[in-house]
Amino acid sequence: MNDNHTSDRDMPKIDNPTNKMDDLQYRRSIYADPTSQNEDVIAAQNADPAKKQLAHDLCLFDEQLKQAMNIPVPDDLCNKLLLRQTLASHQQEKRKSRVHLALAASVAIVAGLVVNYLQFSSSYTNLGDYALAHVYHEENDFYNDDSNRVSLTTLNKKMATFNGGFNESLGELISADYCRFDGMKSLHLVYQGLTDTVAVFIVPKKEHLSFTNKFSDNKLQGESLGFQNTNILVVADKNESLEMWQRAINDNITWSI
Amino acid sequence: MKIFGNKKTPAQVLDTEPSKNSNSMATKQVRYEALVKALHGDLYRYAYWLTHDKQVAEDLVQETFLRAWRALDSLKDEKAAKSWLITILRRENARRFERKRFDMSEYEEASIMDTQSTTTEQVIENQWLRDKIAQLPPEYSEPLVLQVLGGYSGEDIASMLNLNKNTVMTRLFRARNQLKDALEKEPGKMRLLHE
Repeated sequence: MNDNHTSDRDMPKIDNPTNKMDDLQYRRSIYADPTSQNEDVIAAQNADPAKKQLAHDLCLFDEQLKQAMNIPVPDDLCNKLLLRQTLASHQQEKRKSRVHLALAASVAIVAGLVVNYLQFSSSYTNLGDYALAHVYHEENDFYNDDSNRVSLTTLNKKMATFNGGFNESLGELISADYCRFDGMKSLHLVYQGLTDTVAVFIVPKKEHLSFTNKFSDNKLQGESLGFQNTNILVVADKNESLEMWQRAINDNITWSI
Repeated sequence: MKIFGNKKTPAQVLDTEPSKNSNSMATKQVRYEALVKALHGDLYRYAYWLTHDKQVAEDLVQETFLRAWRALDSLKDEKAAKSWLITILRRENARRFERKRFDMSEYEEASIMDTQSTTTEQVIENQWLRDKIAQLPPEYSEPLVLQVLGGYSGEDIASMLNLNKNTVMTRLFRARNQLKDALEKEPGKMRLLHE
C-alpha cells in the first residue's frame, strides 16, 4: 500500500508526554481515535470544553459510521458456510477412504500372492518325498481303527475327476478327499491297513515332480504306479505289502477317456 | 458514550473450550461451527468493505472459512480467532487479485444496500456515508473499518496490516478527516456531526 498522497511520517508523535498538546496535535489524535484515553488527550479535553465537544462529536460521527458500515449480512450465509464445510470434509473423507480402500486392496493382493506362492510352489523335487511329507503332515488326522467308512460309489464320484474308477473296493476306505498334492488337485485315499493306515494318492502327471518308483524312510515306504495321465502312489508302514496294494489297484482300476 | 460497548471480543462467544483431544473430528466440528456462527457476520462486513461487492464478499468469506477449516488445528487461542480469520481473508483477497486481475471499477457497485430498521432519513444518510466510505482510498478505509466495526486498537490494526502504529494512526486521522471534509461540503449532512 503506497501512501502517495503525503508521507505518513510527517505527523507529530501523538503520545509524547513531554509535549503539551497543541490544537493540531489534539485534532490528529482525536481524529485517529475518538475514544482515546491517552493522558494528554484527556488533559487537553479537560482544559478546553471545545476540545471535549469535538471528541463528543466525533464519537457520534463514529456511531453514524458504524451504522453505515453495519451492512446486513445475508441470512443464509451462516448455513451456506456450514454446508460447504460439511461437503468439503465429506469429499475429504471420501478421498481418504478411497486411499484406505486402495491400500487394503494392495495388501490383500500381496497377501494373496504370498499365500499362493507358498501353497503352490514346489518345495519337493520328486513325488516320493512329497508323498512322505504329506502323510507325515496328516499323520494325526487318521487312525487305523477309525470307524468312518467311504462307499465305493462316493469314491468313484471323486475318481471321475481323474477319469478313473475302481471296480471293487481295495479295502476299508476311511477317507477319500481331494487335497493339494504339491499344488495339484489330487485325491487322497486313506485305507485301513494291517498296523496303520495306508495312504493312496491319485495325482495328475505333471512335469515338475519327477517320478520315483520306490521310496522310503526309516518308518514309511512307498511305491508309485504310472498310468497315462495319472500317478498312483501308495504309502504305508513297513508291515504292509506294497506289492499287494499295487496289484489290487492295477486289477481294479479302469480309466475312461 | 456508547462507543465503548463496541470493544467486545467476539471470541468470547466461543466458550467451547477445546477439549484435550482437539484433533478429534467432532471437536473440530464444534469449534468450527462456533467460529462460523460467532464471526461470519463480522467477516462478511469486513469483506464487503474490502471489495465493495456483496457477491465477491460472500465468496471471499466462503473461501476464508474453508481455509480456516483446513487449518483449524493451528488456531490455539480462540480469542485470536477473529484476527486470525481476518488475516486469512486478506490473504484470500490478495490471491483473488493474483488470479484475475479484474479491476474493481469505481465504486458504483456500492449502490443500494438493504434497509435496516431505521428511519428513512437515517437510511438516506447511511447510504450517503457508505458511498463516502467506499470512496476512501483502501489504505484509509481498511484501518477505519477495523477500528470502528472491528473494535480493534491502533496496535491491533498495525499488527494485522503489518504496519507501524504511527502509520495506522495517521491513516485513521486522514480517513476521518476526509469524511468530515466531505460532510462539510454538504451542509445538509452536517446533522451527522452535530446532533
